[in-house]
Amino acid sequence: MQLETALLVGVMFTVATYLVLQHSFVRILFGFLILTNAANLVVLAMSGRPDGKHAPVVLDPSAPMVDPLPQALILTAIVIGFGVAAYLVFLLYRLFLDQKTTNAAELYQEAE
Amino acid sequence: MNWPVLPILLPLLTAVVTLFWWRPGVARRWFVAAAAAAQLAVAAWLVSRTFAGHTFVLGLGAWPAKLGIVLVVDLLSAIMLSLSTLIALATVLYGHAETALRVEHPLRTPLTQFLIMGINLTFCTGDLFNLFVAFEVMLIASYALLTLEADDWDIQHAFPYVAINLFGSALFLCACGLSYMTFGTLNFAEIAMRAGVLGDDIRVQLLALLFIAVFGIKAGLFPLYYWLPNSYPTLPHPTAALFAGMLTKVGVYVLLRVFATVLPHDLTFAHTLLAWMAGATMLLAVIGAISRNFIRGILSFHILSQIGYMVLAIGFFTPLSLAACILYVVHHIVVKASLFLIGGVAMRLNRTDNLDRMGNLWKHTPWLGVLFLFQALSLAGLPPLSGFWGKYLIVVVGVEQHQYWLVGASLLASILTLFSMLKIWNGAFWAPSDAPVEKAGRRWQGMTAVVAGLTCISLAIGLGAEAVVQIATQAAEHVLDQQGYAQTVLSYLGTNAGGALP
Repeated sequence: MQLETALLVGVMFTVATYLVLQHSFVRILFGFLILTNAANLVVLAMSGRPDGKHAPVVLDPSAPMVDPLPQALILTAIVIGFGVAAYLVFLLYRLFLDQKTTNAAELYQEAE
Repeated sequence: MNWPVLPILLPLLTAVVTLFWWRPGVARRWFVAAAAAAQLAVAAWLVSRTFAGHTFVLGLGAWPAKLGIVLVVDLLSAIMLSLSTLIALATVLYGHAETALRVEHPLRTPLTQFLIMGINLTFCTGDLFNLFVAFEVMLIASYALLTLEADDWDIQHAFPYVAINLFGSALFLCACGLSYMTFGTLNFAEIAMRAGVLGDDIRVQLLALLFIAVFGIKAGLFPLYYWLPNSYPTLPHPTAALFAGMLTKVGVYVLLRVFATVLPHDLTFAHTLLAWMAGATMLLAVIGAISRNFIRGILSFHILSQIGYMVLAIGFFTPLSLAACILYVVHHIVVKASLFLIGGVAMRLNRTDNLDRMGNLWKHTPWLGVLFLFQALSLAGLPPLSGFWGKYLIVVVGVEQHQYWLVGASLLASILTLFSMLKIWNGAFWAPSDAPVEKAGRRWQGMTAVVAGLTCISLAIGLGAEAVVQIATQAAEHVLDQQGYAQTVLSYLGTNAGGALP
């Protein structure tokens, strides 16, 4: 796996965790979006180094091709992440409508 | 006849039909009940065939194992399928008895069927990424059911559930990617063969730890169970029974499947970690149960403490302990679901869930008290009820392995479980109180009838424990037999495959 991608994924997980622990709903939402993107990037990097290889389209049968299976996995994962993100947006919006606040600390302050 | 696809196809068809057949009515209820009964019949047939030694394999689209998705139903999968369809049928019938037609929400039935489809897909699949997809189907259906008719107070507790499970999903995706890189394939049988070659390699150990984190979030192991105790009490009782009975056991099933069938058997660090996390879960969760004051809260914490027993058995990792785990899973699913349903009947009779304001149920409905006593003592582990046999086998294996601290922890957790059950018994049934008991209407009788059915099954498991232990032992042997599993899956595709080979 390429070193640069590994470092990028590490940075993205850090940023996502930091954002999810913030007070504002919008930042929490962004944190989860970056989290799903980081996980998808890990799977993409499993295709191997793209140097000297073609995209997974059979134009020239003799040329080496990047591994297409992780790219298929990522498509599924992106769609699933998109669905869950849509649900999360509505959940946070409903919390805002009920409690009239977008501050997560205030919301959970007096919970057990 | 493609049997492995039926447990997934039937709930899907039922869900789609009830999405179009939108208006709640008696005919729609009969249809759903008939569909649930048909699913149970298919699962029972699968159990009988796999017990006779036949493992079902279905390569979807006839692709070879390295590229395609395989559905594999062996004895353990068939047992779990039969339990999930049984609990689904029970909660469907209980929900019909509990909710009047005019207040029934039409979306609840399709969402429940989608949830059951996700659960069944988890049990049948033979591919790691398909397992991820099945988890997601199950989780998204559970998110929707959690918030379906929730009021302002309950919605707050849905958010930690979604957040923690999203982290689990992201980690599972990373684990799938890393597995693909390490093993070159995502099929369970192929991974088993290639991981066997790698053995105790550091990459395999890291993958095992990542899997423990992901499946620990799903099953509810110690530092990762925060999402459960606050969110399950907000659910209406039939849905709570389905969640409590099945969702965490999916985590236990996946731990069994991955650690026994897929990963090599000499990962002692991972197994020891599982055992100690389970020990902590048992004790801390039961202390949490004692701290709560309302029935659903106490029962939610109990789920976690009993999960501790099952994962402790996985952590010991001998054939007998895996059989004990399977036996305990069978016992616990039935008992936990019926306890939640009993709590539902009690809440309908007393109009409240809070133990301070409940009471007098033994005087007015002694049969309900008897059912509760059977199930509560079974949970605590009184012989000859079903809970005793699982705990006894786990203690025997623990003493054989000289893990005296963990055995002591498990016995202490049993005593504390009994104590918290007595708290419910006193608060709701036995102690003198002036709480009103409303027995108007025939709804609570239908609900009690469903509970009585589940309790009879639980008693049958307890009194016929020898048969169940034999089935569980055979299932454990199948699960541990990586060579046989790989041979069955890969040889099937070898004779019938028509897809391209790389």
